[in-house]
Amino acid sequence: MTELRHAISGTPPRPIRSPIDKIALLAAPGLLYLAVLYAIPLLLLLLQSFRSEDGGITLDAYTSFFAESYNLEVLLRTLRVAFLTTLLSLAIAYPTAIAMNRAKGVWLTVFLVAMVLPMSLGVVVKAFAWSILFRSNGALNQTMEFIGLIDAPIRMLFTETALVVGAANVFLPFMVLPIYAVLRQQDEALQHAAASLGAGPIFRFFNVSLPLTLPGIVAGAAFVFSMSISMYVIPSLIVGETQQTLPMLIARSFLYLRNEQLGSTISAILLIIAIVVVLSSSFLAARLGAKE
Amino acid sequence: MRAIAPSSVESAVPYMNEESRDARYLEVVMVRKSFRGTTVMDEMNFRMARGELVSLLGPSGCGKTTLLRIIAGLMPADEGEIVLGPRNITNLPAHKRNISVVFQNYALFPHLTVGENVGFGLKARGHAKSEIESPVRDALRLVRMESYMDKPIAGLSGGQQQRIAVARALVVRPDLLLLDEPFSALDRKLRETMQVELKSLLRDSGITAVFVTHDQEEALGVSDRIAVMNAGRIEQFADPSTLYARPATPFVMDFVGLSLRLNGTATEKADGACDVGTSHGSVRTPIALRKGEGAVIGVRPELVRAFPSGEAPALEAGRNRVEVVLEDVMVLGSKTMLHGRCDEPDRLVCELPGIKAGFARGQKVVFDWAIEDTLAYGAAA
Ligand SMILES: Nc1ncnc2c1ncn2[C@@H]1O[C@H](COP(=O)(O)OP(=O)(O)O)[C@@H](O)[C@H]1O
Ligand SMILES: [Mg+2]
Repeated sequence: MTELRHAISGTPPRPIRSPIDKIALLAAPGLLYLAVLYAIPLLLLLLQSFRSEDGGITLDAYTSFFAESYNLEVLLRTLRVAFLTTLLSLAIAYPTAIAMNRAKGVWLTVFLVAMVLPMSLGVVVKAFAWSILFRSNGALNQTMEFIGLIDAPIRMLFTETALVVGAANVFLPFMVLPIYAVLRQQDEALQHAAASLGAGPIFRFFNVSLPLTLPGIVAGAAFVFSMSISMYVIPSLIVGETQQTLPMLIARSFLYLRNEQLGSTISAILLIIAIVVVLSSSFLAARLGAKE
Repeated sequence: MRAIAPSSVESAVPYMNEESRDARYLEVVMVRKSFRGTTVMDEMNFRMARGELVSLLGPSGCGKTTLLRIIAGLMPADEGEIVLGPRNITNLPAHKRNISVVFQNYALFPHLTVGENVGFGLKARGHAKSEIESPVRDALRLVRMESYMDKPIAGLSGGQQQRIAVARALVVRPDLLLLDEPFSALDRKLRETMQVELKSLLRDSGITAVFVTHDQEEALGVSDRIAVMNAGRIEQFADPSTLYARPATPFVMDFVGLSLRLNGTATEKADGACDVGTSHGSVRTPIALRKGEGAVIGVRPELVRAFPSGEAPALEAGRNRVEVVLEDVMVLGSKTMLHGRCDEPDRLVCELPGIKAGFARGQKVVFDWAIEDTLAYGAAA
């Protein structure tokens, strides 16, 4: 995780010197908060998924989850949506971060406000705004029909594509900001050095800019991917019950089916995926970052 | 392929006659540059020969880096042309100019090893990995960093980074090498070692190089010719000895070396020479100045003799003399510096070889020098 923090805050990780660093004590409230509200409930939840009816320990819940093809379909869709969302946010975020890095004065403020303001709007408002734009008799379909691009309205809402586009829209700042943070640190002289050594724009991009921004990309991708596999509100609003994802399945297990064991089992699976993603991205960022 | 091999190094250029010196290899013609309405460079003209090592010398902020960037193509000029060899490169992007740059902070790639840094230019030119290894090794050997081939950049000292930057710039066999204050980040002692090292390296590779510095000693020691820059203009472009002996303007006189300097007014003409009235008496100049015109006169301090007032011999013909009160006597071992009392911007200074006894603060002394050694500048200069 150090690498992620490094990429986001823009400062190199400081080695902790003495066994009990006084500064480290500042982390105590945060750790306590996380332990009480996050780690302990989560642990209880996990334990539940291994409990058998007679009070023993069993993996039955897991084997029966994976035996069901519908569950596998949902798992696969969740991963696919998260992957595509990450990819789409990256494709939009990278040029945006570059533009932000070039922007000065007022323009930089405009960018930052444009980044942060939509976050305060909330997903619900956004989702309804999209439905006005994307529904069958919505603005986009009517415009395309009017200029003759299509003959009949296209179904845009309630599709996986709509979900990916919507999710990428919501999570975009989490991809842009880490990339922007690394870009901002980059010395312009490196581009000049590369150019004067005979490297054209494309060579420079792949051999200087991209490798130096990878830690930011990995951090952003880890954020967006883990938020995408665990999102609940966005798919509920955009695709509804027709195309379930893991978090929706969890909610259904707890709220409608009252099957706490199924709910905790899926939660555990989700958690494991998140941990794998975060750890491997941390590892990747460390490997790809500046050689120290 | 173009790569450094010690055996294939072109012969050094120990001496260039006047004809080849006029050769136009790099030409900067009527270059103008302004930043947001502020002109930092106006009608910059300058040319140098192939194989020459030229310094751009000037105070910080005078436009040296700007000129270097314009030549390298890292910044467009507002107007003017850049010609390198047979090519007009004015509109060529930096990566097509074959001009290497050693940057002030070296700008080494932090994500690459030493070897990958040095090989970057060859890779960018499309050479295969197998073609890159041996020239990179040769270039690293040239700067005595061969054993660092696979080391990361982080952790290298300033001097080592500088060597890597030079190797990286040279390995692509550039048509021109630009160095922007390459020693400014090094401490004094290392700087002197690196100056000697770099000079012989550049000589051996026969490369044409422009070397930017604000340190006059560095410029005098390293280069064939020096362009002294002031506020975006070249005040004088000459070899080190001419620059020192015959500075073209008071700015050059003050910036290159130390000198005795007095301001005054031209008073009287006498057979092609001229008298300048100063606050320390009249000084005769070897050149004519317009009568009544404000003038600056100067002389290099080692050309000045000093006598305690009572012991001074009679004034010889062809010599100037001013009477001063000593403000300070500095015994520096190899030389003794006498500073006379005067008001800015006048400066009364005399350099005597070795350790000279018999001078003390507050003492009245006579400074005496030859008229022909007197530098004189009218108001126009
Ligand atoms: N990118 C820039 N924007 C605005 N002004 C600049 C820029 N680069 C240089 N200048 C100005 O141009 C002048 C010359 O700068 P520079 O070429 O860096 O000087 P030097 O290298 O001789 O110290 C300075 O007054 C500097 O403030
Ligand atoms: Mg500079």
